[in-house]
Amino acid sequence: MTNALKKLAGAALALSLAAGGAYAQQVLFWSTQARPVEETQKMRDQVLKGFDGPVDYQVAEDGPWLTRLQAELQAGSGTIGVLGGLHGDFSTVGANLVDLSAVDIGQAKVNEVYKKLGMLGTGEQKYLPWMQATFLMAANKQALQYLPAGVDLNKITYDQLIEWAKNIAENTGSPKLGFPAGPKGLKHRFFEGFLYPSYTGSMVTKFRSPEAETAWNKFKELWQYTNPNSTNYAFMQEPLLTGEVWIAFDHVARLADAFNQKPDDFVAFPAPAGPAGRGFMPVVAGVAIPMTSPDVDKAKALVAYMLKPETQIATLKATNFFPVIDVKLPDDMPASVKAFSVAIAAMTGAPDALPALLPMGLGDLGGKFNQIYSDSFERIVLGGEDVHGVLEEQAAALKAIIDQAKAPCWAPDKPSEGACPVE
Amino acid sequence: MSAVAEAPVAAATADARKAGDWLLVATAILLCIWVLLPIYLLIVNALSSPQEVTAFPKRFFPSFDVGSLAFFINFAGVARALWNSVLVATLTMVLSIGFGAPAGYALSRFDFPGKETFRFLVLMTRAFPLPLLALPLAVMFIRTGLDDTALGLALVHTTLALPFAVLITFSLFSGIPVELEEAAWTLGCTRLQAFRKVILPLALPGIAASAVFAFTISWNEVFAAAVLTIENRTLTAFLLQSLGESPLYLKFAGGAALVVPALIFIFAVRKYLFAMWGIANR
Repeated sequence: MTNALKKLAGAALALSLAAGGAYAQQVLFWSTQARPVEETQKMRDQVLKGFDGPVDYQVAEDGPWLTRLQAELQAGSGTIGVLGGLHGDFSTVGANLVDLSAVDIGQAKVNEVYKKLGMLGTGEQKYLPWMQATFLMAANKQALQYLPAGVDLNKITYDQLIEWAKNIAENTGSPKLGFPAGPKGLKHRFFEGFLYPSYTGSMVTKFRSPEAETAWNKFKELWQYTNPNSTNYAFMQEPLLTGEVWIAFDHVARLADAFNQKPDDFVAFPAPAGPAGRGFMPVVAGVAIPMTSPDVDKAKALVAYMLKPETQIATLKATNFFPVIDVKLPDDMPASVKAFSVAIAAMTGAPDALPALLPMGLGDLGGKFNQIYSDSFERIVLGGEDVHGVLEEQAAALKAIIDQAKAPCWAPDKPSEGACPVE
Repeated sequence: MSAVAEAPVAAATADARKAGDWLLVATAILLCIWVLLPIYLLIVNALSSPQEVTAFPKRFFPSFDVGSLAFFINFAGVARALWNSVLVATLTMVLSIGFGAPAGYALSRFDFPGKETFRFLVLMTRAFPLPLLALPLAVMFIRTGLDDTALGLALVHTTLALPFAVLITFSLFSGIPVELEEAAWTLGCTRLQAFRKVILPLALPGIAASAVFAFTISWNEVFAAAVLTIENRTLTAFLLQSLGESPLYLKFAGGAALVVPALIFIFAVRKYLFAMWGIANR
């Protein structure tokens, strides 16, 4: 036994020492995006194959992603070549990113708004936009028979959605609206970028306004017809596929599987509108290069490659994130892309469209900012507390965060001098 | 007369015993279901096609569609990650027993100043959450070159497993009478010989059990593995990073890929595992 153990240990030690060093040549792409295994696989096989030189695409959850990056920055040397992440992922490490304004992206015309977002409020291009997505509504076709008369899905309002959900619940005997309110769900984005803008025309300034109280009361009404399992959901494509849920709100990448597995069963449509407009939140992912990147030139070449039209289309097929450059989509797109691009066009092109940007300038307080909205939801909707009282308390916490970050207002709030006010 | 009086009493005890038997059997069945049902569902769903996974009602026997599992086996890096997991877990096992068993022996046999403090400090290493320690650890590892190696990760896992190794071996050695050792000394053994020839054979099954425990601790650890390694990720870190957000059928397939090797391992060493509950001392 001891001898066997000794031999095993010796062999293991020798192997572990021999294993290092073989990967110096490839670019390590350290990303928080395309984490589901199938997407990771496609990123490697279809998107990054075409790059001149080997790329190692590795995904990590936000926590390990940031910890690893910070460790390399502190140590002053690293293995990460290129970073991939959402706007919020980069805001904490902005000072340690290489300026990308000189990267040659050829003829590609990158969305100007997103490019500005990528400067993180500095004079340098801290990250370049890589891909974009948003949130949509999806419905099982069985739900359409209960749609109230005269409702146009592309122009749906919150009141109509409530009525529709009520019809379904009453006729089928169970609530069939679904909402990603689980621990890994993106519910905070719904309140920040959809519910608040639609009712108040604001995300921050009017946090405790009477309009905000109306919004929460409407949502409470909607919650009656929402499947109580919603507090477990992370990806709405799963309950949609099992039929537990007939109408759902979620990120397009988290709905795609339902459309791709059963293209004939589902329809996608825009997020509903409220009195102040049709609030929606575009999501932008970017690519950046950390100061500690072992080969900055190679990394810049990879960044430029990510923005080529062919790469952008391949990325769309792999991840369901849409291009950030002007490009014509070919016809052989997956069912999800076909369904989503129509719905997204209807949403962004609607006369009452009201885009709400991801929180800006909050730095590492972004998580706490999201928590304010999630907490309000839990206290008001799940806990049944008084709307006015909760909003008063949460508004104080929100103001403290914004003041601490000294973040000026972002869309849809009007630009402010100094920290964005919470009225 | 007395026979008449005793008969109902005897019948009552028989009844009670019968009821007790039933309770025992029912509890055993319940416990088996408790353990086996999730594993059964995991395997059935892993062996079903994506459509069947979301369908309801479930079939009792899976359709043996290996698509999801095949995807996993072909997913770049799975084999390597599996190998890394085994490597790191084995290193952890060796290191934690190598350090833990002598410490446990010292704690049970010697009196030295600060013994209680030492025991307490050993436990204290579990008091700090890994996410808190990961950043400074990673910085240090990058500077020393231990970063992204199986050995580096095994060192971290050893710190996690060490308290258990020390405490398990401590109670193990305490359970072996010191007189046995003393008898060996009187018969001409040195301290080391007495340990090797008398104590070790008695303690070996228990030591093996705590080694298995160290193995599973390393096998299940995610955060340190995710931060401290990139190319040499362990299977758990490798899969859990992606599985949380994958479609249901892949979650089942991945779950099976994680559970089955561990099950096989536990099954192979079950004899030693039971020793942890005192069979070693008999």
